[in-house]
Amino acid sequence: MSTAAAPTPWAIDLTHVAKTYKGKVQALRGIEMRVRAGEVFGLLGPNGAGKSTLVKILMTVIAPTRADGAVLGKPVGDKDTLRRIGYLPEHHRFPDYLTGRQVLDFYGGLAGVPRRERAARIDPLLELVGMKDWANQRVRGYSKGMRQRVGIAQALVNNPDLVLLDEPTDGVDPVGRRDIRQVCQRLKDEGKTVFLNSHLLSELELVCDRVAILVQGLVASQGTLDELTRDRRYYEIDAALEPAQARELWASLLPAGLALTPKPGSADVLRAETAGASHAHLGFVELERSILRLGTTEASHVQPFVDALRSRGIALRALRPVRPTLEDLFMAAVTDPTTGKALPPGAAKEASR
Amino acid sequence: MILTQTTAFLVDAYRELNARKMFWITLGLSLLVVAIMGCFGVNDKGLTFLGWTFNNDILNARLIPPEKFYIFVFANLGVPIWLTWAATVLALISTASIFPDFIQGGAIELTLCRPIGRVRLFFTKFACGLLFVALQVFVFSLACFIVIGIRGKSWVPDLFLAVPIVLLFFTYLFSFCVLVGLVTRSTLASILFTCLFWLALFVLNTTDGIFVSQRAAKEIAVERAERTIEVRTRGAERMRQRLIDAGQPLPAKDAWPEGAQSELEAISLPLLNARKELAEASESRDNWVKYSGWVFLAKTVLPKTSETIALLDRAILTDKDRELFSPPGADDEPAPGDEEAGSGRRRGPQMGDPAVTRRAEKIIRQRSQWWITGTSAAFAGVLLAIGAWIFARRDF
Repeated sequence: MSTAAAPTPWAIDLTHVAKTYKGKVQALRGIEMRVRAGEVFGLLGPNGAGKSTLVKILMTVIAPTRADGAVLGKPVGDKDTLRRIGYLPEHHRFPDYLTGRQVLDFYGGLAGVPRRERAARIDPLLELVGMKDWANQRVRGYSKGMRQRVGIAQALVNNPDLVLLDEPTDGVDPVGRRDIRQVCQRLKDEGKTVFLNSHLLSELELVCDRVAILVQGLVASQGTLDELTRDRRYYEIDAALEPAQARELWASLLPAGLALTPKPGSADVLRAETAGASHAHLGFVELERSILRLGTTEASHVQPFVDALRSRGIALRALRPVRPTLEDLFMAAVTDPTTGKALPPGAAKEASR
Repeated sequence: MILTQTTAFLVDAYRELNARKMFWITLGLSLLVVAIMGCFGVNDKGLTFLGWTFNNDILNARLIPPEKFYIFVFANLGVPIWLTWAATVLALISTASIFPDFIQGGAIELTLCRPIGRVRLFFTKFACGLLFVALQVFVFSLACFIVIGIRGKSWVPDLFLAVPIVLLFFTYLFSFCVLVGLVTRSTLASILFTCLFWLALFVLNTTDGIFVSQRAAKEIAVERAERTIEVRTRGAERMRQRLIDAGQPLPAKDAWPEGAQSELEAISLPLLNARKELAEASESRDNWVKYSGWVFLAKTVLPKTSETIALLDRAILTDKDRELFSPPGADDEPAPGDEEAGSGRRRGPQMGDPAVTRRAEKIIRQRSQWWITGTSAAFAGVLLAIGAWIFARRDF
């Protein structure tokens, strides 16, 4: 669709985006984020992290305090670029006197799509989101899920290169969620970039190529799931031992200088950090009752522990490599490492000068 | 693209109106008003209603041609009372929610994320809000045009001037309503504050009418006093000549009555009194000119609702037409000395006297159309500029 495609692999390339509201509330404190063209990108974060503020800045709904970067090759805030972007806001409200078809027609018109093109696109889009049979019913009679489906359709009515969906599965049943995932996949197959903002980590995990985690107005981490979990993968050994026996055995097997200490915030978990020590091939060692977790992806690093069990005739209940889920990553990002408690929700207050 | 977007807004505005019951209720009432107007008529004996005749010495076809009767009813009752009071209240109730709904969270994002500038968005939405009134007035005018054409046998296209005039009038109120809605985000506050603003304008306009009438009364009083002085001066001169001819002495200067400035005033008490009346009337007139000047100044910076609507009257009724509907005796200008006739009670011109009313109307009608529409539109423009500035800068 676009004739002026940017000579960059990035659909969104933000180097510094900040927003301070009145009252000195810093919603965003310098976002650096890159979204590749043609990928499905997920933005997650706790309430008040600044996710919606960031999306609204990209859509010119909110004026940033500072915004260095580009969207589809144009500076952030460029109105003309919005012709190539589709957007579904969170908690959107369509005029309830419109039918589903009229919603698409109206917002397509506002996006500058000529009448004939709109007429040609509306039915296929309604069919895509499963709303064709309800197209001529007024929105006021729609369920939450139906509104969400029509919302996705209106975000696509201008045949955008970049689609930003803010909580697209909010209020949608499992079938609807699957349908929305399929829509995202289809958009990706068509070469479009999809930017998802969602709380539903399992949904994002299923569909996203890359994710970013936003915490208190900053990007805590971003990348593919493989990249983000590379340092967090581990092996888990479950032996037929009582917790006290397990603690004694595993402590004796640990290299000298490593001591298991209670993990902050988790009374049942003992943990030893190995970074910087001579045992750095193990990222960490963690013991939870009879389960031992070894921070490594190499089976050879685990072998001595299995051998020790075998030599003592202790039954091995399970041995498996584990890749953290998106939820694990998320929880790690929103947890204060010193206290082990979740970081307080909301944005940060500007430091007094 | 601008055309596509504007068309989308207009179509949406129509759909919104179509969905509002109040729009159809108001339209139905407008047509009912026109139908009732059509039921009335005039014949040689008086006023008629559905075939019944109510004898009337003033309202009859001998004095007022039927077409003038209907045009007068349209310009002085239909538009000023129905369209600019009752229908405007209904229109305000219907349109006050447009901006608060528009900027509601979840709705505004869907519009702001389009390739359309905020200022253009604001003004387009504002124009769409005026569509309610534009359609109402057009339908009302069209119905009146047909009724007057059929019943009065006169086709008057000038009736359609009501559309821009009433639209301009509504713009004053709607711009205020939009600004309040934008600031408070509340429909109720918009309606309430707009009604208060309208009431304030009404009070100011009424004050203006009273002050102008007082000024007119005092001007007439001064003119009458001047004419009285002329008559009294001639009488005093004749008396002075008679005294001289009779060889009687004229009063010495130190024997002049208090306040007398000349020999004539010394020999004619009525002339002396007339001089005093002139001085009092002049002082009073100057005061009222000053007071009405202040009100005029205040009105200059505010919208002139009544005068804007009165432009229609100016446009479709000639002075001659208006005379048909003037109260009897409007031209009566008391002759000098009339006040002393009859009961002997002295009564200066008062508000409500036909001559005073006529003079006040003349003063008001002398105010230029550009002063009325230009300064009022400038006021609305300033409000809209503030509204657009807020809308363009706000984070939603």
